[in-house]
Amino acid sequence: MIDRYRIFLLFIVVFLFMAIFAPRFFNVFNLTTIMRTMAMNAVVAIGFTIVLICGELDLSIGTIITFSGVVGLGLKEYLGYGGSVPIAILTGCGIGLINGLLVAKAKINSFIVTLGMMTILQGAIYTATGGNSISLSTEDAFAVSDWLSKMILPLITPRVLITIGFIVFFTLFMRRTRMGRNFYMVGGNTQTAWLAGVNTDGYKIVAFIISGFTAALGGVLFAMEGSAATLKLGDTSLMYIVSATIIGGTAMSGGKGGVFRTFIAILMLDVLYNGIILFGLGNEVKIFIAGLILATVVMYEAYAAYKHDKIVGQRAELLKELNTKHGK
Amino acid sequence: MMQTVQKESTQIETRLRTQSTFNRIFSTLGVYGVAVLFLLLGIILQISGVINNFLTAQNMLNIIDAVSLLGIVAMGMAFVTYSGHYADLSVPTTMALTGIVCVEMLKYGFFPAVIISFIVGLLVGGINAVAIGKFKANPIIWTLAVNYVSMGVIRLVWVNKQIYPDLKASSVKASVLFDNIYRFRFFDKIALPMVFLIILVIVCHFILQRTKFGVQLKLTGSARNVAKFSGVNVERVISIAFLLCAATATLGGLTVTSLSKVGAWYNGAGYDFKAVTAVVIGGMTLAGGRGSIIGVLGGVLIIGLMNNIMTLLGIGTFSQDMIRGAIFILVVGLNAKSLRSQGRDDA
Amino acid sequence: MKKLSTIVFYLIMALAVTGLAFAGGEQEAESGAAQEPAKESSLEASLALDDEVLALKAADGQPLIVLQKEQREVPPRPADPEALPEDDPLHWWDIEFAGWNANKKNIPESPKDGAIGKKIIFIVHGDHPWTTACTLGAQKVADVYDMEFKPMSPNWDLAVQNQMIDQAINERPDMILLIPIDAKTAPQQARKINQAGIPLILFNTLTDAAAMDYCITWTGPDDFGQFRMLSRVWADKLGKKGGVAYVQHNPGGSPYFARCWGPISELSGYAPDIYTLDKQAPGFEADKTMQLVSDWLTRFGDELVGICAADDSAQALGIFEALKKAGREDVLVIAAGNSKQGMDLVKEGKLYAITYQTAEGDGALAVKTAADWFNGKEIEPVRYLPKHIITKADVEEFYPPQW
Repeated sequence: MIDRYRIFLLFIVVFLFMAIFAPRFFNVFNLTTIMRTMAMNAVVAIGFTIVLICGELDLSIGTIITFSGVVGLGLKEYLGYGGSVPIAILTGCGIGLINGLLVAKAKINSFIVTLGMMTILQGAIYTATGGNSISLSTEDAFAVSDWLSKMILPLITPRVLITIGFIVFFTLFMRRTRMGRNFYMVGGNTQTAWLAGVNTDGYKIVAFIISGFTAALGGVLFAMEGSAATLKLGDTSLMYIVSATIIGGTAMSGGKGGVFRTFIAILMLDVLYNGIILFGLGNEVKIFIAGLILATVVMYEAYAAYKHDKIVGQRAELLKELNTKHGK
Repeated sequence: MMQTVQKESTQIETRLRTQSTFNRIFSTLGVYGVAVLFLLLGIILQISGVINNFLTAQNMLNIIDAVSLLGIVAMGMAFVTYSGHYADLSVPTTMALTGIVCVEMLKYGFFPAVIISFIVGLLVGGINAVAIGKFKANPIIWTLAVNYVSMGVIRLVWVNKQIYPDLKASSVKASVLFDNIYRFRFFDKIALPMVFLIILVIVCHFILQRTKFGVQLKLTGSARNVAKFSGVNVERVISIAFLLCAATATLGGLTVTSLSKVGAWYNGAGYDFKAVTAVVIGGMTLAGGRGSIIGVLGGVLIIGLMNNIMTLLGIGTFSQDMIRGAIFILVVGLNAKSLRSQGRDDA
Repeated sequence: MKKLSTIVFYLIMALAVTGLAFAGGEQEAESGAAQEPAKESSLEASLALDDEVLALKAADGQPLIVLQKEQREVPPRPADPEALPEDDPLHWWDIEFAGWNANKKNIPESPKDGAIGKKIIFIVHGDHPWTTACTLGAQKVADVYDMEFKPMSPNWDLAVQNQMIDQAINERPDMILLIPIDAKTAPQQARKINQAGIPLILFNTLTDAAAMDYCITWTGPDDFGQFRMLSRVWADKLGKKGGVAYVQHNPGGSPYFARCWGPISELSGYAPDIYTLDKQAPGFEADKTMQLVSDWLTRFGDELVGICAADDSAQALGIFEALKKAGREDVLVIAAGNSKQGMDLVKEGKLYAITYQTAEGDGALAVKTAADWFNGKEIEPVRYLPKHIITKADVEEFYPPQW
């Protein structure tokens, strides 16, 4: 029971700790700040989790975030947000499609493909912007930004609402629909899935497209709220999302885990970091604790598997019989 | 009757024979085929006058100088990848940690400082070795976690400051020796890091190809369970692989710290992905058990050649990024394709 | 069914948390300052501390704060700077003189009750030994005024800086001092703080002009000015002719423009026979810079006579390794300072000249300006740090290094 709900328990523990001990943590403004901070990474993590469940890795999500932010803001003056945002999201899907094709059809390892794609996009971002970040200071840009960050319900702003909406959608999709459950099958045992008639190539491609989609969505929304797109917008997101996904219980071998767990893991990490800032502690503490938590989670799983391996295949009665027989 | 059978058997086509010429060239030459292609490209560009001074001794030396540090780190990383554990992401902070420890310990003299830093580096490697070798923790996530914890340790212990070798050294001689880790040149031409690299290549190649450990590592990387049931002490083999990676990371850390003349937490940043890129371009597949050290050297040289030609052509830094990423995917994809055309399993 | 019930359980918990938080009230954090007994006496006491502050010294022995007497000469803004050619100094007007033509919106009035005991939140852009020194300098000044000083660092992550700004607003300090991570993200950040009614001073990084409308003032180094000065010194030594190359800062920030196009636009008028061979941004790694310069030497040979670098530590070391290897130590190198490695190189005669940029002074000037505002003084729209070019002749005065 603890194993299955590990991440939820961890989240409750961290949240309670911060609520009790961190100064100025438990009020509407601070909790809303936490929700707004997690909004981008949470939505991007959806796609990453789905790709990981399929047994693949997508390292390019950080640069897709930046790229879509740049495209979304950069094209605004020609097409308005109504035009530039769909284009940004479609670009993300397109990149995901290329990733998926290279992984599924050309059968190149996804680590390689997405690492290469990350490098290509980094260059593309700089080339497209000429090295300048983009900032929109017009009244209508600020109006959109204000709307996205306005608090319409306690703890909820429109951007947070969009994020939560997608999380709910994808959680139900992955757990309830047959198509969603097929992703787990493709990741769990690709050969068996293929033999069972599931189009494994197709599912992998779709997983990468979803990853590109959510990364682009998260990036462009974040850029709109900040009314600015820097060239390093998504740089820190990759490692953060990887850590959160693993802590949330999705394994790199694929086939298990879930979108909702990743979301709770991201919430937990954001609560933790928020609390650390409130305590007035520096970034070295934050990095250190993040590493410790990650190491503990990984080691916990590994140790459990290690213990399991030790006893697997052993027949306790036979062993006892042998021991008593030989008087050991 | 016998003759008919014989005739039939000779008409049976084996998969090897259906391999196209291109794939055949690629699989025999391996990564050096690509390196030769780049050299040819450079020569063609020089002859056609687009660039100049490409094929000079100085330029070639520059290329090797530029990638020596990367090569040192990639040698150790190769062992980790060969063992089927993808990559050791704790390399950047191991480099920074051993560098800053060495600078701090210079107050006890140069050689004690170096020895202490190697001990520290091997400790980190040992932590990785136990967690991944014995407990089979996921290598990417575990080494990432160690990376964060090490970074936190460096910044906490040295209170977010950086330290300078000449101020910490016990004597001028110690400080000079430290600076010379990067700067010493034999005959004014051949830098010490280059010598380190050459020695490492020879030693690592020997370890991988000719020792029992190397063969065991290959088996472990290809099929861990088969290795275990064949009697190979899998835990020990994997532990040694990670210790070797930490050792080369230490050497790399000392070198990069000597170059920048400062012990800081940000030395070595980015070397994890750079080293994996070199290793993979060099023909080692991420699934493990395939490739060679000479190949990794080739991968490192390709990166150097690529950068050199692009800068000589005047291509901007960020356009270079795009081309690098595309070539990376291309080379690895071709490698995988040629392996598959031989009927071999790929990564 | 079990899964559904767990989801419902967590939804209820989430609502409960929200309800609790809401009921916990709009818990605005405590208001900034401690209660002052009488406005005038604390104002006097605060003004009296001015001399003590101006006498403070940084770790390198230089005075921590040097208030500039002469105003920077600001040429009138051309109608469309972007339309001018890049080597015309006025093309860069919006970046170089950001803040001088701001339309200040909704700036709070000074309470004029002295700076003693005020609460200020100091948000830098990232972790680096430089910012450690900068925060230290700020702390020194804050201590004199007995301020409640809270530093924060987002470690180069924009989402974290936005979060910190939100948390800072929530604490309702008396002043926020901010180094925006990027010039372009500053407008919305400054606007948010401005709309919350909290006084704001931007410093160190020149921001997009729109951000300047929302802050009291901007303090920091006059990067463009320093590099114009430096380039003239360089050009003189070069005999005002030859081919030069630029090792740039990371793209996006003001140093990227100031340390490359500052000299280019200055020399186009001062020394037209100096021309640009190449400019690249290899980052702050010594080995990458070394490879870049080696390749430049291969490409340009004797035509390259000077290099201007955006950083005098890692980049400069890389440059010299390359020069030494190629036996081209005749190339004249200048850089932006001032780090210990840079000063060592100047002392050894390798680096010809570097700019002086006091890290501690940067933070200190921002806090001192805040104190001046609390004291009710008139604040200029832009306040610069002292400019100085360090050469071998006076480099000894700047040891020990600040960071």
